[in-house]
Amino acid sequence: MKRQQIIEILFRTMKDNIVSQDITITEESNLLGDSSPLDSMGLVNFLVDVESVFQEEGYETQLTSEKAMSKRQSPFRSISTLADFIEEQIIEIDENGK
Amino acid sequence: MENKKTIIITGTRKGIGRYLSEFYLKKGFNVIGCSRRDTDLKDEHYEHFCLDVSDEKLVKKMIFSVSKRYKKIDYLINNAGIASMNHSLLTPLSSVEKMFKTNVFGTFIFCRETAKIMTKNNFGRIVNFSTVGVPFRLEGEAIYTASKAAVEMLTKVLAKEFAFKNITVNAVGPTPAKTDLIRNIPESKINKLLERQAINALSTNEDITNVIEFFINDKSSMVTGQTIYLGGIS
Repeated sequence: MKRQQIIEILFRTMKDNIVSQDITITEESNLLGDSSPLDSMGLVNFLVDVESVFQEEGYETQLTSEKAMSKRQSPFRSISTLADFIEEQIIEIDENGK
Repeated sequence: MENKKTIIITGTRKGIGRYLSEFYLKKGFNVIGCSRRDTDLKDEHYEHFCLDVSDEKLVKKMIFSVSKRYKKIDYLINNAGIASMNHSLLTPLSSVEKMFKTNVFGTFIFCRETAKIMTKNNFGRIVNFSTVGVPFRLEGEAIYTASKAAVEMLTKVLAKEFAFKNITVNAVGPTPAKTDLIRNIPESKINKLLERQAINALSTNEDITNVIEFFINDKSSMVTGQTIYLGGIS
């Protein structure tokens, strides 16, 4: 899956998870902290939805993996960093032929 | 198919899991079961998965397949469990690992994956299995009771974490029941245990089902994070 497709899925899922539709979502939109349009439970919902949308598309993503949790910089900082992390994962899954 | 209730029950090949499968099939539910080995239970509304409940990948695959086919999951009964009675001085670490894998990790993985689907429907009922061995602090069952104490705490915390989506999480703690779990325990030991209960009797499948029925009832939306023990133990 191309990075642009990943970004589009993340935008779409993000829009489904925020109350105010006036907020413009960009690749740099924060997922964590006060400037994030998501509260802590919103982020949990968003990540669960992202996993399930990719699953629907035939890809497995391990957003709750130890790898994600132990990264020095959280992959959940922004849409862009999350897309990077997902891109890495999808490549790994394809390499294993799964 | 969409209007039928969908229930996942783990450990359905025999014992209470098998009983519950047949009970909910009779009630007109779609029943999805699993066990390590295959089952001879055949019903057009029963689907069986052969897996180890602690195998994260297979469980994820199973829940994804169930959600695709049935569109929703209403209830989860985490029944699969193993026990091994042994003095702790004689308990190998491999037994500890096995028991925690099935009883704790398996319960957790099923709760997590199923709740992900339940959140979409804003409804869910999860029932886990504990044991009276926990309040009895039962000697000779250090690891089994420790694993079930972990299940109880998991139940309490998940109840809080899942409440925002109207998912309740509770546990039933049966007294010894006539299942394989107590197959190797001497009768005198079981009788001694029963003497410690207010009601000195083994649990029956009906007793356990009654508590599960209470937990999963639509009217039990305010009941969560609780463990109900049978036999009058508190």
